[in-house]
Amino acid sequence: MTIKRIRFMQELLTFFGLEGRLHLEWISSAEAQKYVQVVTDFTEKIRQMGPNPLKKIDAAVKGAI
Amino acid sequence: MNLIDQVEQLFIQDKIDIFLGYKALDGHLLPHGFTRDRMEELKALQVSEGRYSLEKIATHLTEKHPDIRIGMIARECNLRTLNLLYTWKQLNPENIETINISCCPSPLKPHSDCSYLEPKQTGAYKKTHGIDFNADPDTFLDDFNNKNRFSRWMYEFNKCIKCYGCRNICPVCFCDECSLEHASLVEPGTLPVDVPIFHLIRATHMAGRCIDCGLCEDACPMDIPLRLLYRQVNAIVSDIFDYRPGNGTDQSPFTIIGEKTVLEPKPMDAQLEGEKEYGL
Ligand code: SF4
Ligand code: SF4
Ligand code: SF4
Repeated sequence: MTIKRIRFMQELLTFFGLEGRLHLEWISSAEAQKYVQVVTDFTEKIRQMGPNPLKKIDAAVKGAI
Repeated sequence: MNLIDQVEQLFIQDKIDIFLGYKALDGHLLPHGFTRDRMEELKALQVSEGRYSLEKIATHLTEKHPDIRIGMIARECNLRTLNLLYTWKQLNPENIETINISCCPSPLKPHSDCSYLEPKQTGAYKKTHGIDFNADPDTFLDDFNNKNRFSRWMYEFNKCIKCYGCRNICPVCFCDECSLEHASLVEPGTLPVDVPIFHLIRATHMAGRCIDCGLCEDACPMDIPLRLLYRQVNAIVSDIFDYRPGNGTDQSPFTIIGEKTVLEPKPMDAQLEGEKEYGL
């Protein structure tokens, strides 16, 4: 069910324009290497995409008030 | 048999206690409950081009009087809603009688009986900065890249004046406590509205629930293309969960809200439980 729910969220975010910013991976407690790899890869991917555009908007709204 | 005679028969045969239809008031067709005590009013019963959530009125009546038998005018969209409300136990099919109306124009009837069949117009500015009302979810995904989709939705959502019209008109928004008024999600009583969370919450809740009647989009004073958004979430639900709301007799398998939820639909036998509790 979790896989399906996350897939739903991913597709909704894609439609809205935040594609690729949500990731799900199954990692057992015995797979330390895999854990490191997945987190490193995802961090790198997000870094390349740049900051979440919502952050900028949030700051702009707060600045305006 | 014409509509008025049909309703009269339902009363004479004692099949209903109230009939929900439309009646003209100062030139507007407004929803009205016709009852046996005032049969003379039936002369004024009409089918309206404008639409209201008659089913929502029915759920409110049922909440107060669980055994009330309700008749109502039902178009295609009303029938889908009724189906969905039965699956969520908001209405009991045994207490509902419908008189079905076909809205579409046909060789016998040149006009349509539904305001929604008028094609919507999208202005030039909205087309370049926002989203075309008539866009189809797939072409929207194909035509614009990620960044462009984001800015277009934000343009649309930022117009929101947080009037709650979309939720209030929606026949399948029946929660006791609404997340859109939950302080930890949407700050109450303030503007601008929290975007995009306000709209994404509603989009998520409409997944597996929205029957695509279009009333929310009709009601939205800021012309936000809500129907397109909810059509897409339901296309996703249909893809992943193979479920289409309003069609069958099952509840949606998709609930993002988890097991512990404040989105409990109101129990239909609230009154009975109360009676038990107080030993009546
Ligand atoms: S189209 Fe809008 S009003 Fe109609 S069921 Fe869906 S969300 Fe509710
Ligand atoms: S919580 Fe969601 S589904 Fe329930 S009334 Fe509010 S918007 Fe509608
Ligand atoms: S009807 Fe439109 S303006 Fe009103 S709360 Fe809903 S989205 Fe916002």
